[in-house]
Amino acid sequence: MRAVVVALVLAVLVVVAATPAEAHRLRVFATVESGVIEGYAFFVGGGRPEGAAVRFVRAGELVHATTTDAAGAFAWRPEETGPLTVVVDPGGGHTAEVTLGAERFGAAPAGEATPAPASQAASPDALDPKIEAAIEAAVARQIRPLLEAQAAAESRIRFNDVMGGIGMIVGLAGVGLWARTRTRARDDG
Amino acid sequence: MHLQDGVLSAPVLAGGAVLAAAGVGWGLRRLDEAAIPRTAVLAAAFFALSLVAIPLGPTSVHLVLGGLMGLVLGAHALPAVAAALVLQAALFGFGGLASLGVNTVILAGPPVLVAAVARPLVVRAAPPLAAMAAGTAAAASVALSASLMAAALRLSDVAYAPAAPLVIATNVPLMGIEAVVTASIVGFLLKARPDLLGRSAEVRP
Repeated sequence: MRAVVVALVLAVLVVVAATPAEAHRLRVFATVESGVIEGYAFFVGGGRPEGAAVRFVRAGELVHATTTDAAGAFAWRPEETGPLTVVVDPGGGHTAEVTLGAERFGAAPAGEATPAPASQAASPDALDPKIEAAIEAAVARQIRPLLEAQAAAESRIRFNDVMGGIGMIVGLAGVGLWARTRTRARDDG
Repeated sequence: MHLQDGVLSAPVLAGGAVLAAAGVGWGLRRLDEAAIPRTAVLAAAFFALSLVAIPLGPTSVHLVLGGLMGLVLGAHALPAVAAALVLQAALFGFGGLASLGVNTVILAGPPVLVAAVARPLVVRAAPPLAAMAAGTAAAASVALSASLMAAALRLSDVAYAPAAPLVIATNVPLMGIEAVVTASIVGFLLKARPDLLGRSAEVRP
């Protein structure tokens, strides 16, 4: 009986301790603003890796490599837009990656906008490429905090998951005890 | 302390899986009715506590309670750690299923070995000395786990060789934290439940 009470107290303490916690795990946040890929790597439990290798991979091919700065951040302006994957590897067993889809690149950056084809310029519905790029940049700037908050929220440990895990362990113990009892009953009988 | 999928090479993963399967099988065979609840409670403690990250400079560490698991559970620490790692990988993407074997060996092997050495002292010595022995065992267990992890990285890819000192250095503070936590838990258990540590009830003051 005493053992059960001790076990219950321990379990409750563990759950209370674990609730506000976050896992030790590497994550990457990356966004595209005006054609520049920028972002940072972060350990979910706190801390950002400095000097970690950052690889930009497109269709399985390494297109650019750099390292993170003191704040764990990186930035690179790709020559051509298109979906790519950012892989951060600080060594020591943690790696993380994030894939930026084609939709994240949008229109060409304003500074380097190529002259619009004559047919498009002539169409009354077409926006000036500069306006389009400005809209892209404004939207990217405004949704960035949302994306950052979402990346942080996604990696937060949820109370339900912790409880579910503990429940699974208790269930496994129950299954084990049941199996032992059956074995013993068969041996006795 | 959890190696993620995609970091280690296939031979290291396979080797870890074979070792872990053998160890878990060995631990399970010796698991009797009295040991099951104890194993489950410590597995749950390990599962939840190793999710709690303590920020530390540019990185963060988490408790593993390896020394305590080894001392209380002995060989049963292997199935306890394996079960908790499966759940951490499935629920939180912590570690990974391919690296499950290697992670089990890294996290559960040292506790079992270290506790086998430290147990005689913890069982027979006076309570303060026994608690200190348990703390030392916990620190040694962390050091051994970190070394195993560095070795697994090194075996997978020579390019990881420079990471080895880093892995060990980041775990030095954890050695101290684990030693203090384990010594205080064992100090409490010596008073409340000496039988959990293999001491007879008469020793109880």
